[in-house]
Amino acid sequence: MGLLAAGIGAGIAAIGAGVGIGMIGKGAVESIARQPEASGDIRGAMILTAALIEGVALIAAIVCILLVFFA
Amino acid sequence: MSRILRRIAVTALFFFTINPALTAADASGESENPIDVIGKVQDHYYLDVAGYHLYLPRILFVEGSAVPYVYGSTEAAVESGNFEELPGYTLVSTMGNEVVLDMSITSHLMYFWFAVILTLWITIAMARKYKKGEGRETEPKGWFQNLFEITFVFVRDEIAKTNIPDDKYKKFVPYLFAVFVAITFMNLFGLLPWGVTATADITVTGILAVFTFLITQWNGSKDHWEHVFMFPGVPPLMRIILTPIEILGLFTKPLALAVRLFANMLSGKIMIICILGLIFIFTEFFSPAFGLGSSVLVVPLTVALYVLKAFVGVLQAYIFTLLSAVFIGMAAEEHHNHEEHVEAHA
Repeated sequence: MGLLAAGIGAGIAAIGAGVGIGMIGKGAVESIARQPEASGDIRGAMILTAALIEGVALIAAIVCILLVFFA
Repeated sequence: MSRILRRIAVTALFFFTINPALTAADASGESENPIDVIGKVQDHYYLDVAGYHLYLPRILFVEGSAVPYVYGSTEAAVESGNFEELPGYTLVSTMGNEVVLDMSITSHLMYFWFAVILTLWITIAMARKYKKGEGRETEPKGWFQNLFEITFVFVRDEIAKTNIPDDKYKKFVPYLFAVFVAITFMNLFGLLPWGVTATADITVTGILAVFTFLITQWNGSKDHWEHVFMFPGVPPLMRIILTPIEILGLFTKPLALAVRLFANMLSGKIMIICILGLIFIFTEFFSPAFGLGSSVLVVPLTVALYVLKAFVGVLQAYIFTLLSAVFIGMAAEEHHNHEEHVEAHA
């Protein structure tokens, strides 16, 4: 059961993070297309936001790894 | 001359690569699983050098004694009769008292030290050069000084200056630069043969995050603490909810910082081992020919993953430094015009 829970949890975390980071990428590409001169600032903000989302997704992934080994 | 050296290096590399395969062939049939994934990413009490184990000292504090027991290796500790080895290299005292503190040197700690020593050496050597005027009055000489200057200016301007307000950023540039370079080294050491990624250990990243946390709180302005305990511009009843959330937020930020770096490095390492391990799994389950055939696909994939991991290693060091700068900047910020700020929150 622990293995099953870990697998499902990792999958859901990946879906969430994928949608989130995809939307960030979409927003960043659209704004760079509109304002190519601001691409440097937009890239910085994009990496920062993606890192924040990634952190949440990775915490979920760590919980799943713990489930595999300790549950 | 260089040709001879190159030939010697290639021969040495060949020998070192072949040797672990031979020792592995000797030891085959002992383990049930074709590949031990977690054993590869775990912390060990030895350094893996070219297939041999270089054992590191064990330092153990036991109950009722202020002087630690020091042994050259795990084996020596067991031979002395004072300790017993459990599976997983944990040592238990046989003298009737418990081990209170295990201060043994581990492989992750060694690689942490390597990174720190390299960082210190580079920065001190470069500082000496700049003190002499080389690079300040003249142009920076050589690829190394140029690379150093690009990195330093990047950290100072792109990370520190843009995120920490006013002139306060100067105080934090040394910390941010040191963390950036040390984390980059630790991440990239994991790509070397027999290398260990020290940042794939929650304790290493945890300590780094604790440093960021302490610096952030130490340099917190009055406004920072006001935001934590008495959030301005909200009804008093809301503060009952907001204050615990803000206090919790102080701790979750460095926690996320530590977990992000740890999980990224660990997942990269596990991914590489798993994909390379497919060869051994196929060999075990089907036939050696199948395993050999799959290596045509698997090895180029691993090479691509290595390139990705080198990129991720630098990127994660950048993100760690950037977020540290953002947190420090958020805490050190002073709101001169408070009325305007209240409106911005509302």
